[in-house]
Amino acid sequence: MKLLAYLRSLASTLFHRAQMDSELDEEFRAHIQRHADNLERSGLPRSDAERRARIAFGAYEKAKEDCREQRAGFWLETLWRDLRFALRLLRKNPAFSSIAILTLALGIGATTAVFSVVDRVLFRSLPYPQDERLVSFGVKAPFEGIEFMLAPEYVVLRSQPGPFESMTSLTPGGADCDITEQNPVRLHCALVESNFLPTFGIHPLLGRDFTREDDRPKAPRVALLSYGLWRSRFARDPKVAGKVLSLGGKPVEIIGVLPSSFEMPTLTSADILLPQALNESALDRTHPQDILRSFGRLKPSVTISQAAAALQPWFQDSLRFVPPQFRAEVSLRVRSLRDRQIEDSRVGAWVLFASVIAVLLLACTNVANLLLVRLGGRQRELAVRSALGASRVRLVRQTLTESLLLTLFGGLAGCVLACILLRVFISIAPQGIARLQQASLDLRVLAFCFMASLISGVFFGIVPALTKPLPESLVGKTARITPRGLFRHTLVTAQIAGSLILLTGAGLLLRSLWRIQNVSTGLEPQHVITAEISLSEYRYPEVPQQLAFFHELEARLNRIPGVGTVAISNSLPPSGTMQATFFVSIEVPGHPHLAEGTGGMVGFRMVTSKYFEALGIPIVRGRSFTEQDRSSTEHPVILSETLAAKMFSNEDPIGKMLRFSTLGSQGPWRTIVGIAANVKNDGLTARADPEFYIPWKDDPETFVRHSYVTILTSLSPATLLPWARSVISGLDPTVPVEFATMTARIGKLTERPRFNAILVSLFAGFALLLAALGIYGVVSFFVTQRTQEIGVRMALGATPLGISRMVLANMARWTVAGAALGLLGSWFCARLLESLLFEVRVHDPMLLASALLLLLAVALLAAWIPARRAARVDPVVALRYE
Amino acid sequence: MTPQADLLPGTLDLLILKAVSLGSLHGYGILLRIEQISRGALNIEQGALYPALFRLVRQGLLKASWGTSDNNRRAKYYELTSAGRKRLREERDGWNRLVAAIGSVLGAEPEEM
Repeated sequence: MKLLAYLRSLASTLFHRAQMDSELDEEFRAHIQRHADNLERSGLPRSDAERRARIAFGAYEKAKEDCREQRAGFWLETLWRDLRFALRLLRKNPAFSSIAILTLALGIGATTAVFSVVDRVLFRSLPYPQDERLVSFGVKAPFEGIEFMLAPEYVVLRSQPGPFESMTSLTPGGADCDITEQNPVRLHCALVESNFLPTFGIHPLLGRDFTREDDRPKAPRVALLSYGLWRSRFARDPKVAGKVLSLGGKPVEIIGVLPSSFEMPTLTSADILLPQALNESALDRTHPQDILRSFGRLKPSVTISQAAAALQPWFQDSLRFVPPQFRAEVSLRVRSLRDRQIEDSRVGAWVLFASVIAVLLLACTNVANLLLVRLGGRQRELAVRSALGASRVRLVRQTLTESLLLTLFGGLAGCVLACILLRVFISIAPQGIARLQQASLDLRVLAFCFMASLISGVFFGIVPALTKPLPESLVGKTARITPRGLFRHTLVTAQIAGSLILLTGAGLLLRSLWRIQNVSTGLEPQHVITAEISLSEYRYPEVPQQLAFFHELEARLNRIPGVGTVAISNSLPPSGTMQATFFVSIEVPGHPHLAEGTGGMVGFRMVTSKYFEALGIPIVRGRSFTEQDRSSTEHPVILSETLAAKMFSNEDPIGKMLRFSTLGSQGPWRTIVGIAANVKNDGLTARADPEFYIPWKDDPETFVRHSYVTILTSLSPATLLPWARSVISGLDPTVPVEFATMTARIGKLTERPRFNAILVSLFAGFALLLAALGIYGVVSFFVTQRTQEIGVRMALGATPLGISRMVLANMARWTVAGAALGLLGSWFCARLLESLLFEVRVHDPMLLASALLLLLAVALLAAWIPARRAARVDPVVALRYE
Repeated sequence: MTPQADLLPGTLDLLILKAVSLGSLHGYGILLRIEQISRGALNIEQGALYPALFRLVRQGLLKASWGTSDNNRRAKYYELTSAGRKRLREERDGWNRLVAAIGSVLGAEPEEM
């Protein structure tokens, strides 16, 4: 019944407004007439009676308004009216509206785009149930960046009760495997323990999981397919389980399909999962061979540090089998799976996040400022409305509506900007930032965007609306310093401080980038094209076959006209893995053994004689390798300058002998024939690690299945590549090859710092723009408010220059305060960037000074435009301003 | 003339319901009837009557309809709905209880304490 009455009332509010209003008038008029009739009957003249009746009725319009408010859906009507009014105001001030919307779009757009990225990297849960309990654990040693487990140690640990609900392992690198049926393809297979999927909480989409039986060394071979492979090669065949696949020439039974959301905890790609089939009975703690990556699911309520403490006894025990001189450099490491996955993206992501939050805050203060400025201009209007009976709530609601509308527009524009920015981020992002490629503007991110816009809308909608319009405003005399003026100036001060911090941050990163790009790699990358070639195990099982392939390839490439030099090596700078040995395992006759520690790692590569020539690495002493070294029984070796200096500080190394051991087996004695200049091998920011070169030998002891061909050519890559490709496929069409120019390979190393620098500079640019807009707004307002005063001053003889100076001086105070705060902030914030910087001092006075100068210049410009306007004020017009 | 008293907040609704319960009335009529019954003791701001009437209509306690008055003027008449009748009963009982309670407190003699 009540509801019915409400709905009827609502319907009449919505559809019969005009009729209701006229009925209200009619009812009121009738009331007054009747009262007048009554008064007339008591003897008053008609006109008097009507007047007294009207007085007795009270405020006519207020009563009408009160009645309207009683109707259902009144709020809808108000909202509609407020919206129309707000829209009209925004249209009337296109400059203000577009600046405010632009400011918000910048703030919200940048926030959303970066949140999309950071969310993926830092916050979003990994695709495993209860992922916070998953950890990666193992031993950290100098020759391996990521923690690992020796297989026998893993088996020992697994047999003990520990902090884990379950632990599992996989073999690093997995295995290359090729489908060798029709349409042969090179796939990547991961080798995992049988409890791998249950530990990560994953169930196969189809078929069954591995069993312990499958994981035995001699068990029949079985495989789980990735969703992608199942879709592309098996057309989502629901009966795929049970089929037999030929992998590397051997039959493997497919037992199931992984879900589409599956990803390896190492973030490597895997088309097929195979049991790693560890031969546990053959493992020997004293002669470990295999290494594993190990992961565990913690028992509920066990923390990572508790787990690390629980693993200590085992770790101490396992140290017994580590040679004493290595022990100091080996440590236990337990960390969350997320930490392992994002590694060094973490600092970058946080810096990004912080700078973007700063930009959002700047944008919010800016719009607050703009609104304050505008509300200042509307003081008179508000005072009039207030005097005419508009309630406080009504005025606040109206102001709020306006700012919410503004943020809504800003939010929409921001979403569009966010989509664009995200595309840009992904396209310029370097490889290896975990999960960046999957970042997309999804619903959660969109919700964040609107929340940000809403909160800022309420924030700066409330502040200007809370102040009561002063009755004095009715007269139009508004030239007084109000507390709000102080608030406004504080906002500007904060903006300048924030922008300065972002500017110095960007400056530091840009400078670091410049340093990195000018680092000498020790190579001549021009005109060098490289090809990475990997021969499959089933087609080239024996070393002689592999050597024959490369021999023939070298000969054929050399026959291409325009090819100057062809070299082959088993690894290639400036990135990527290379073979290595401990410094301590290099033995030199007459040199004492290193007393303690490993002495660090020393890398080595196997290269053909043309290697140094092809890459432009100078031989600073002695000679290079020759073609004869390839087949002779001599064992020459060439040291890098760093290694030579480290091993023979004050002797001449040429002609000296050395030998080294890898994996426990002692190599032959080698003669040092030359010293080569240093080459950056481990990225550009690392020191030049010591390394040495041994000749590429046609000798069955070597391992050359995975090798690099380096071609120095006068041809352009576009000409050479198809040619080289046809040469290789002429030799063997199934061999996968990856071509790259050396310049591109080196360029890749600067991708990450460039990405960081570009992003932070982008934000610093935004911040500077926002600060300029803020200053412009405040100074404009100052000028408008004091037009009259300026007019008086000019009438009394002030010069235009003096007026400009007065306006600028007012602004300068706040700018200087902001700059001082900003310098202080930069001093502290720069420390956070420390790990991202290369050869740049964190507190660089020159850099701070230039950032400060840039900011002050922009601030001056932003204040100058309205100041000039002030100087042009015509005293006559100004005095009539009222 | 009886001294006038201001209305307690919330009592205007009750008075309107009571006035209308005696027969359908237009706005001015309601005003007159309340003045007449109270012998002018209650001071009602004339304009304030209408928002209250609108509120009661929206709540479904009154029903409004247009009709013709004695002197052939169009007028909006208000009458009680059944929900309004029920509400009037409840409010009146509540009011009586309140008055009795406050009266007994105010009328208490020292020895009864």
